[in-house]
Amino acid sequence: MDTRTGFRVSQRKWILAAIGFPILLAAWWAFRPEKLWINQKVNEPAPFASRTDPQPLYTGRLEGKAHQTSGRATIYRTSDGRQYLRLTDFMTSNGPDVHVVLVQTDDANLTKEIVTDQIDSVELGQLKGNQGDQNYDLPASVDLQKYNAAIIYCERFHAIFGVARLDKF
Amino acid sequence: MVRNIKTALALVALTFTFALQASVYAQDSMKHEDKTKTLETGTFHGKVHKTSGRATIYQEADGKLLLRLTDFKTSNGPDVHVILIAAKDAEDDANFLNSSTERVELGTLKGNEGDQNYEIPSDTDLSKFQTVSIYCERFNANFGAAPLEKF
Repeated sequence: MDTRTGFRVSQRKWILAAIGFPILLAAWWAFRPEKLWINQKVNEPAPFASRTDPQPLYTGRLEGKAHQTSGRATIYRTSDGRQYLRLTDFMTSNGPDVHVVLVQTDDANLTKEIVTDQIDSVELGQLKGNQGDQNYDLPASVDLQKYNAAIIYCERFHAIFGVARLDKF
Repeated sequence: MVRNIKTALALVALTFTFALQASVYAQDSMKHEDKTKTLETGTFHGKVHKTSGRATIYQEADGKLLLRLTDFKTSNGPDVHVILIAAKDAEDDANFLNSSTERVELGTLKGNEGDQNYEIPSDTDLSKFQTVSIYCERFNANFGAAPLEKF
């Protein structure tokens, strides 16, 4: 009597195992949970060999604020170590005393169109044109980790024409 | 009367100076010797599977198109692919890739971390396929997407 029950239990166990194991296997194949811990790292080289061209470091799209502004702002480093900001496909409205300025992305002034508080900034120069491609040299010491946004700024009216938040290229 | 006319003329002149702010067109050049052109770029976002990094499309001297992922990181998973989709952007939801969404397959994801290149079929219309998606085929899930904009 005892042995027969024991036999039945183990038979049931076998059936369970026969059904359960493939299910577990299928679940493993589908979800591959070990991949949660295993990283697969690759490091392919860039498609271009020449390193004489200026390399882009940071880039971002310009968004209009006080005036409609569009285009791209990119910070490049030349092969001799100089850095500059380049505006491309650029367009803003013309205005008096407009400057290109680097600021910090989290500066509270950037939430507004008109700057009312002190703004911590790096001056890059007077806007050369309200349209077209243009370059602005960066001071050698500028900390790009800190000043990671470019604004088109009308000094006279403290108006932010447009802002570009710069992300690592 | 004369004074009124003068004032009026002065006002008109003033409005003109404000209205006719002529555009100033700048055209700075840039040293460019590389044969590879940068066409488009964008950054990844992904919520369910945290995805970050940059996707950039280059055109090589012979016209070949290439997608390059840099500073890239996503979660590892089964059957993950890199695809271009005909959409402005994508979130990870059921609407992300329905049967009508056109896509271009670029291959299996080579690694969930690191810099990597994918060839794009040369007849791909980049003005239509505007978003890169890291796509888990098995679960129809969007790990992350990068909307591309002109560089």
